[in-house]
Amino acid sequence: MTTITTEPAGSTGSAGPSGGWVPSALRRRGSRRRAPYGVLLSFGVLLLVLAWSLAPGLFTRQDPAHGVPADAFQGPSTAHWFGTDHLGRDEFARVVHGSASSVTSALVAVAIGVLVGGLIGLLAGFLGGWVDVTLARVVDVLLAIPSFLLAVVVVSALGFETINAAIATGVSAVAVFARVMRSEVLKTRRAVFVEASLLLGGSRWHVLLRHVLPNASRSVLNLAVLQFGLSILVIAGLAFLGYGDPPPASDWGLLVSSGKDYPLAPWLVYAPALVTIATVLSANRISRWLRNAD
Amino acid sequence: MGVTRQPRRAPRPYLTYAVQRVVQAVVVVLLAYCFTFLVISVLPGDPVTATLRNPQNNFTEEEVQRIVAYYGLDRPVWVQLWEALSRFVQGDLGVSLRSNLPVSTLIGDVLGSTVVLAVSALVVALALAFGIAYGTRNAPAPVAKALRAFPSLFLSVPNFVIGLLLINVFAFNLGLFQVIDSEGPAATFFAAIALGIPVSAQVAEVLIANLDHEARQDYAGFATSRGLSRSRLFWRHLLKPSSLPVVTVIALTVGELLGGALITETIFGRTGIGSLVQRSVTTQDLPVLQAVVVLAAVVFVVVNLVVDLVYPLLDPRVDLRGAARAPRTAAEQPLETTQGASA
Repeated sequence: MTTITTEPAGSTGSAGPSGGWVPSALRRRGSRRRAPYGVLLSFGVLLLVLAWSLAPGLFTRQDPAHGVPADAFQGPSTAHWFGTDHLGRDEFARVVHGSASSVTSALVAVAIGVLVGGLIGLLAGFLGGWVDVTLARVVDVLLAIPSFLLAVVVVSALGFETINAAIATGVSAVAVFARVMRSEVLKTRRAVFVEASLLLGGSRWHVLLRHVLPNASRSVLNLAVLQFGLSILVIAGLAFLGYGDPPPASDWGLLVSSGKDYPLAPWLVYAPALVTIATVLSANRISRWLRNAD
Repeated sequence: MGVTRQPRRAPRPYLTYAVQRVVQAVVVVLLAYCFTFLVISVLPGDPVTATLRNPQNNFTEEEVQRIVAYYGLDRPVWVQLWEALSRFVQGDLGVSLRSNLPVSTLIGDVLGSTVVLAVSALVVALALAFGIAYGTRNAPAPVAKALRAFPSLFLSVPNFVIGLLLINVFAFNLGLFQVIDSEGPAATFFAAIALGIPVSAQVAEVLIANLDHEARQDYAGFATSRGLSRSRLFWRHLLKPSSLPVVTVIALTVGELLGGALITETIFGRTGIGSLVQRSVTTQDLPVLQAVVVLAAVVFVVVNLVVDLVYPLLDPRVDLRGAARAPRTAAEQPLETTQGASA
């Protein structure tokens, strides 16, 4: 279709080589530069957490919901990696089994952000005119309300469940995705290769799907990874305040929240907290790496 | 940056720009009110009457009727919204469903504590951010490199964990403050650290990015080649141009301070807007919730409006052409700066 293989001068400014026609999110694989060790480690952490949430039974044989009362408040040991809680439940088992709901909620939140925010940004950027002006105000409103407060309001309107916390977090992430998508679309829309495609007889839909979306995908992917980490934090915060599923669910935020009542057993706070931090840090690191790969 | 995006338009005078921005700000606040109202009333569930008729709340049937009539709960949502909006424009924030007190009284009672906390958190955040940024340019290489990882680390730690850690170390182990005396200066200081750390990360990220950008400029190379020391270069030349965009970032983090106060106040046992929200959520006291959200939106919009209005005066390079998009571009700025810098 298009024969333009090099970057049309001045088309995308500082965005790097996003002017070609290979979807920029995939281009990374072409270059054979090795990822730094920190990034590999981050991928490892995320894969481990993902594995925990898919098949918790493979990683721990202990029951997360029932404990041995005689074993209460044991410190971390080889038998109980993260120690035990006030009911003698294995904290590691609780963290592993809790990761499914923490990870799923974060993914749901990101999906809502990408779909709704992406659609808003796409429409605003691509159609322009009054659609853009109207959607810009909607995004301004969403930005004006502190995202955590917005999530709290949405979750209290929907009811205190983890899935609602995920939806609430997703709603609070819509504005950022809309903003990034819009600016990417605007950037690409003015590119010479888009003009060329239109001149060659490409329909608006063709241009949108073949050129604009693939070029925007890179930035949206970065943001999605970053937002995954942020969503974990927000959902943990909501769970910490008790706006998620009640115990015996073992969301990471909830684990920290119930662990804080036992200052003499600090591992009950630190173990889930460290897992959360490691996950978010990994997501941030990968997002930064994707961003710098241009 | 984005402000110059539409170069084909004729330049506009500052006054037009200012008027446009003010009108936009008012529109955003009103829309924010409508948005929260709709979120609260359109979503499934009827928490208002559920709360009112909850026997624990001791409302007589007559009082229930009066409140239902006040909020027009028996009428269509659009009528309710219109009435609520006209009350809001007149400054009436409604009546709490829980205590039967005006919402403005409830908020007024706790506002001071949250303002103190938020302002101290901002001070802490700025001090930390500037400290980190100074270190990345002037400390020995390994330290500087380590310091660059700090913003990312700060952004990855849930702020309730920071709070719990501070309480554990400084209150329980070192005894530097009493958890019971939650509003005392020492406790406020540590609460401010907990709230300020995530904010400092954002400020530091932008500041470091700007410093790196400035350090690559010709004037910086020239000054170094003439024998200016690193720290003199930092203080005399790099700091000023790098700090200006930070003003925009600070304005954008205002919301974060208010949202974060929710968790920080809960952990440190403070009475403030955050704990009021927390209580209103558990008791489904929607008018209070609605008022707090709108208040937060007003604060955010006003702070950003002031920054947008003052910024062109501080930095004459800012071009007001295409200024209709000012709030949006202001919001884009930190993200793009961060991206550009780490690229």
